[in-house]
Amino acid sequence: MVLPKANHTYQPVYLPWALLGRWDTEDEEQLKPDRSSSNEQESRPSPKELEELELLNRALEKALKVRKSILKTPPEARGGREGEKAANEGPAPKNAQVQQVLVSSEGVPVTTKVRAVSKKPTSSKKPSSYLLTAPYRTDPDVKKTHRKAPARCVSQAPRTAGKSPSKAAASKQARNHRLAISASNQEVCGAAESQKTTGLSKCALLEQQSVSIGDSARGKNLIAAGRQLFDAGKEGCGSLGESSRREDHTTEDALGRNNSPQTDTLQEKGSQLKFPLLYRKAYSRNSRAWENCRLYQSSADAAAARNRFIERIQTTFCSPMPAFSPAEIEEEVKVMQDVPLLLRQCVEAERADHPTLQREYESLLTLEGLQTIASQCLHKLQLLREAAESQMRLCPDCTGYAGSCRPDYVPPRGQGCGSTGVLAVPLLCYSSLQELRDLFALKLQVSMLNQEIAIQKVMMAELLPVLESRLHPEASAIQLYRAIYTQLCEGGKRFPVLPFRNELDSSGVPDTWTPGALFRCWRAPQPGSDPSSPAASLLRGGERRSGPAAQSTTKTL
Amino acid sequence: MFCMLTLFPRFALLQSLQFWRLLYSLLKQVHGGQCTESDATDTQIRFVKSALWYHGYGRPELYWLPSDGSAGSRELLLAFSWLLHRIGLLEQLLARNRVRTGDETSVCTCEDDLPNSQKGRTEIAPEYSLEDKVDVRYLQWLNGRLRFQWRSLHALHQEQCKLLHKIHLFTSGSHMDKILGHFSVTETDLIRRPENYKQLLQFLESETIQLEAFLEWKQLEQVYWRWMETVLDNMSEEGSMCKSQDAHTKKSTLSKVDSCCHWAGSLTGKIDRLSRDLMTVHDQLQELVTHRKSAWYEKMKTREEELQKEEFCAAARKIQEAVQLKLLDLTYRCAPRKKKMHGSCRLVFRSKHSASKTGFGRSVSKEPISTVSATEVIRELQMRKASLERELKQLQEECRQRMDEVAQGLDGVICISP
Repeated sequence: MVLPKANHTYQPVYLPWALLGRWDTEDEEQLKPDRSSSNEQESRPSPKELEELELLNRALEKALKVRKSILKTPPEARGGREGEKAANEGPAPKNAQVQQVLVSSEGVPVTTKVRAVSKKPTSSKKPSSYLLTAPYRTDPDVKKTHRKAPARCVSQAPRTAGKSPSKAAASKQARNHRLAISASNQEVCGAAESQKTTGLSKCALLEQQSVSIGDSARGKNLIAAGRQLFDAGKEGCGSLGESSRREDHTTEDALGRNNSPQTDTLQEKGSQLKFPLLYRKAYSRNSRAWENCRLYQSSADAAAARNRFIERIQTTFCSPMPAFSPAEIEEEVKVMQDVPLLLRQCVEAERADHPTLQREYESLLTLEGLQTIASQCLHKLQLLREAAESQMRLCPDCTGYAGSCRPDYVPPRGQGCGSTGVLAVPLLCYSSLQELRDLFALKLQVSMLNQEIAIQKVMMAELLPVLESRLHPEASAIQLYRAIYTQLCEGGKRFPVLPFRNELDSSGVPDTWTPGALFRCWRAPQPGSDPSSPAASLLRGGERRSGPAAQSTTKTL
Repeated sequence: MFCMLTLFPRFALLQSLQFWRLLYSLLKQVHGGQCTESDATDTQIRFVKSALWYHGYGRPELYWLPSDGSAGSRELLLAFSWLLHRIGLLEQLLARNRVRTGDETSVCTCEDDLPNSQKGRTEIAPEYSLEDKVDVRYLQWLNGRLRFQWRSLHALHQEQCKLLHKIHLFTSGSHMDKILGHFSVTETDLIRRPENYKQLLQFLESETIQLEAFLEWKQLEQVYWRWMETVLDNMSEEGSMCKSQDAHTKKSTLSKVDSCCHWAGSLTGKIDRLSRDLMTVHDQLQELVTHRKSAWYEKMKTREEELQKEEFCAAARKIQEAVQLKLLDLTYRCAPRKKKMHGSCRLVFRSKHSASKTGFGRSVSKEPISTVSATEVIRELQMRKASLERELKQLQEECRQRMDEVAQGLDGVICISP
């Protein structure tokens, strides 16, 4: 009785790559990513991660040493490869940056966690192969071979080098090449599972977690690493498209010697492809059937008979039926979610002063109209509420069903289209790659924002009372304050500066706004005065550690 | 199932239990849930009853049916027919189970309510019972993790876009259906490795059979509804005898209202929140309007003669019309928008200069399929994003103010915000 569910919407993630590559290769098996640990839900940082953190620290120290030594060796020693100049220039400024960071960094608490750190320092054994190899061609396609799915980017599975077949090794190498471009520190790459996103994540974490709990020693290296990786990740993510292309070329280079040069890719024959005959027949029958169903109009008699039945059965319903069904109530409430915001925006628009008499009159009329709309909406909400209450009385589920009386029934999505509308699959047409990207990016951002807002509300409800109750010892109060401030007011990205009053003298504000001076020369406000106005008048670059990083984090998304 | 519908007199012979099961599986499918056959009968029956209630079915006799499924096949038949019309059951089923071979993506911006799993929440923080203090660093760590996940997802999406676009581009012009124009990933793979897709072919064929059966049923629809009316007539004759007995048993169960309806609780909560927000806006408006009105009248007092002038009246009328339009537009935005699409759409690449080349001439005779352009969706998403950002900033601002108040209480420390 149950209709078969034929949902082919789930495709393996690697499928697009496979399609773009050569079609006559038979080794798809190795493409299947092993989703070993990407779906683990860790509830807290594990001791393993602490170990990895230590490993990372050590690797980074080594990396710094190595890099310094590399900078000293002549370029020829590396074998005249093309991209090395970029690699050379890369380290120099980064090095300087690292020094700066080391100087001004603060401690990072032990509990700072960094994800996706490889447990395999053995991969750092091949630093030379991480250097840029092939010249980067700009041929758009030729041979793009299989590449492991990006799902692996986020997995923590350590790679087993040398055991996989040649292609996998080549692709891994290519991946490593790519990262060598973006992070010009090979040891770091090797140690850190070579992920761009890892770099981003590390820096993201570090930004938020530089709460100084007084533990200054351990975190210095970490911040340095985070900086590098972050910049690497930033570049990497920004050039994701290009670098993956370059990767493909290096892979192709490696593999070109293995395979025959005949090209058999999608680009060449894409426009001449045809469905296999069987499928073609089935498909055309199917689409014709859909069309017929979609275009079918019920005869007038049938419609009349149906309406008659519906009317009659509705007369047998409980006599005081509520005005709205539960489905309708939910739908209406959902639609009205935006109304307060809309109205508020309109009110704000009308608040401005109006130069002319006409504008003022218009504004007055608009405001009155808005007032009417607001009261109408309020009235409707009242009706909906009453309907909900009376529906509650009729609810058949309310006989003690396992405690949670949410009706099992989740309303079907896509109902608003009407019953014939659902018979056609709507098309979403895009006209360029950039549009498609923007579309996906925006969808993700909207979801993120929704989540952030929900989290913010919950955090406000939970954290603010903690502070406002003032039940903690003085020392931790400040750090707690700073942490909560960061989370609540700056989205966890930037944090305030909390100088102590007794450190400041009353010598007035100097001409130069160095961070140190900030601490020394800020005149303490009188108790009771508004602390936010001096804060507002301060130099906005009062962020000491996080400015550039914070801005960059907002850039990638 | 369609074959059964065409032989509908046999329905009367269907046992009630089977009918309950049928309704259960159909309703489960329509809302996308998993059909767990292992569910006990009374769970299934409860589910069906709550679903019918949700859609507004008000016939009390159905809700009085026993939960062992032993009686009531005709009531179920009535309910089934009502559902057929009310939610377009058959069309929904066809649409949900449709074989989709395109690259699908959804365009709706509605935020699904987070699933109400109490269990899930307590799992996440096992070590932090209420006695322990919650470490804010844990919170920061979680936050960082979340951001990491978002970024990875973003990177993955972008990668996917690039590849999808390539495939669409390379296969342009090959599809049988000129409206689509190019292949999707699945279709390309089908061409490459047809042997992997035998099942798809089978599904496609069985779907075609279902569609043809559906069409047949549509042609017999009139007879069906007339038959249903006769069933209703029979029921109402018999029903009046039983009503008095059952009614008073039901009243006692209905009195348990206060212990239940989490659904209603959350919904009324939402409504109350909305009302509160609207109330504040309304009060603001009231204040503003009275203030402005009095200012206006003050001004008008000094310009009596000007008001009499013809041109001012004409100007005033024009302004009124303009304002009406503006308000109408606003009400339209506040009112339900039927146009909003939920569900998934098929991604189709149409470059601007090739739009004329694709065979649009062929489809002129048919009704156009609903198409949505990415530009529109992007615009809507941008507006949505902007309003969400505003909301977030407002919340943050509120936090900042409250934190400032707290800072005043902190001894010896000033907070300098970034």
